[in-house]
Amino acid sequence: MIEFYQVTKRYPGGQLGLDDVSLQIPKGELVFLTGPSGAGKTTFLKLIYREEMASEGYILVNGRNVSNLPERKVPYLRRTIGVVFQSFRLIPRKTVFENVSYLPRVLGLDAKQQRKVAYDTLRRVGLAHRMNAFPMQLSGGEQQRVAIARALINRPDILLADEPTGNLDPELSEEILRLFLEINLEGTTVIFATHDRGLIRRVGRRVLTLEDAKLRRDEHLPGEMVPPAPRRRSEPEAPPDASPEMESAGLSEPVDADPIGAGA
Amino acid sequence: MTFLQALLYFTREASVNLIRGWKVSLLAILTITLSLFLTGSFFLVSSNLSQLTKTWRGESKVVVYFAPGTDSAARDRVRGEIAAAAWSGEVSEVSPEQAATRFRSAFPSLEDLLEGWGDEPLPASLEIQVDWSTVDGEAMRADLETLRTDPVVDMVDDDRDWLAQLETAVLLLRGLALVLGGVLLLTAVFTIASIIRLTAYLYHDEIAVQRLVGATEFFIRGPFYIEGLLQGLLGGTLAAASLALGHWLALRRGDGLLVSVLLERFLVPSQLLLLVTLGGLAGLFGAVASLRKESLGRTAEVPDGGWEEEV
Ligand SMILES: Nc1ncnc2c1ncn2[C@@H]1O[C@H](COP(=O)(O)OP(=O)(O)O)[C@@H](O)[C@H]1O
Ligand SMILES: [Mg+2]
Repeated sequence: MIEFYQVTKRYPGGQLGLDDVSLQIPKGELVFLTGPSGAGKTTFLKLIYREEMASEGYILVNGRNVSNLPERKVPYLRRTIGVVFQSFRLIPRKTVFENVSYLPRVLGLDAKQQRKVAYDTLRRVGLAHRMNAFPMQLSGGEQQRVAIARALINRPDILLADEPTGNLDPELSEEILRLFLEINLEGTTVIFATHDRGLIRRVGRRVLTLEDAKLRRDEHLPGEMVPPAPRRRSEPEAPPDASPEMESAGLSEPVDADPIGAGA
Repeated sequence: MTFLQALLYFTREASVNLIRGWKVSLLAILTITLSLFLTGSFFLVSSNLSQLTKTWRGESKVVVYFAPGTDSAARDRVRGEIAAAAWSGEVSEVSPEQAATRFRSAFPSLEDLLEGWGDEPLPASLEIQVDWSTVDGEAMRADLETLRTDPVVDMVDDDRDWLAQLETAVLLLRGLALVLGGVLLLTAVFTIASIIRLTAYLYHDEIAVQRLVGATEFFIRGPFYIEGLLQGLLGGTLAAASLALGHWLALRRGDGLLVSVLLERFLVPSQLLLLVTLGGLAGLFGAVASLRKESLGRTAEVPDGGWEEEV
């Protein structure tokens, strides 16, 4: 359960990141967060895992006030929240495995367990075969999936994804979307920030629309997409990696690229 | 994660960092080495000197020379007075004859000198061993002054006078070693601190990510602390090794009295251990100093240069 009570975020310099936002997101819900660039999507997410602090109002995560959480307790909050950062934030000098298994290591899992959870999680995003590669050796889409795997590794209560399909071709976007739906079905609360209206339209669900730091709309949209496909567990490993160019070439179906406010 | 596991992980990370940035690491290590080497050398020389003065002190004595012609009654009186004093140990009387014999055996070629002085060419004297461990310097000084005014006493010879000067020199040397060593060690701490800060700055983004995915400060800082500690320990070990090497070389090549006196004994293992420990502490201290407060880049990052611009 995530609750915002009249939350305002003012950045140093006076820039408004979020303006008087109140809402509740029940446990286990999947919510889309949308709005044009600069609307406050990233700010909204950062406030939840305490990368930023609210200037006014307060935020409860699972009943705990995140705003006055002592600094030393922040890591424990963050361990229950998986975050897919907008720019991945992978550690360049560490392998995919090391990137993904950092939190398990912090939590004291032994090397074998680390390897197992990392392998299982990377399999879910179709990258188990790239475990020993360095981020620089991966395409943007692959890096994005590593970032997703890292967010999922500790089976978080809450999954925050900041434009997780922003760098993926439509096919992969849909796959990732399916993955998120699947994770949501397992009981994880998911907040999915995207300006890809097409993607939202396919799934439906609750959609929060931010604009100029304000919550403009909070609505339920019907979806077109069939319920999430069964897990790909039984399927073979993802095909060998294609270069980004190849990935974006030969798209099966053009996705409605209609980012709100883009270019406006 | 247990503390031991964490320590192992920290050590691994720190070693990787050390090796990856070996040039800067070497700089830090050598600064520590230099400062500890110099401190150690001073310490080595001064402890040899102080050992020497201790030996001399143990053998030193006070000699009271009687005026010529002092009779045995007067000599016994003085001897009794001295024996009663708390500072005096064994007292032995050297008669003029004994003195002459000694002189002859010590300087056979000068034997003729004694002939011209009649019956009593050398004065009788009292040699007093002094128990330096229990001696009360003030009382002794006062007693010796009284003795000097005694009409039958010609002269009082006190080894302490020049020993005290030597001891002052040793003390000065020690002080110099302490000050110099302290200053140099401080330099080493600063060097290590800047190097650790540099490393932390280099890995600023990495550290931010570690923090964002839920690592504790302990876990984030641990590798840096161990890095400083390792640098310090390496520097200390290197200093101890070069001291040993330098000592060996000096003894082998130098044959002067000075070398053998000043370098006679090497530092004992516990002193070497102290040197290494000091290095480790300096390194650790440097790391702690460099990671104080916000220096690990706790502030929020620049806004994402994200994908909004792309359609
Ligand atoms: N660290 C920051 N410092 C100052 N202003 C910021 C910072 N981060 C975001 N902002 C501002 O806050 C507003 C919302 O930004 P953001 O949450 O990143 O929007 P979105 O993710 O929807 O593109 C923007 O006007 C942006 O310029
Ligand atoms: Mg954003």
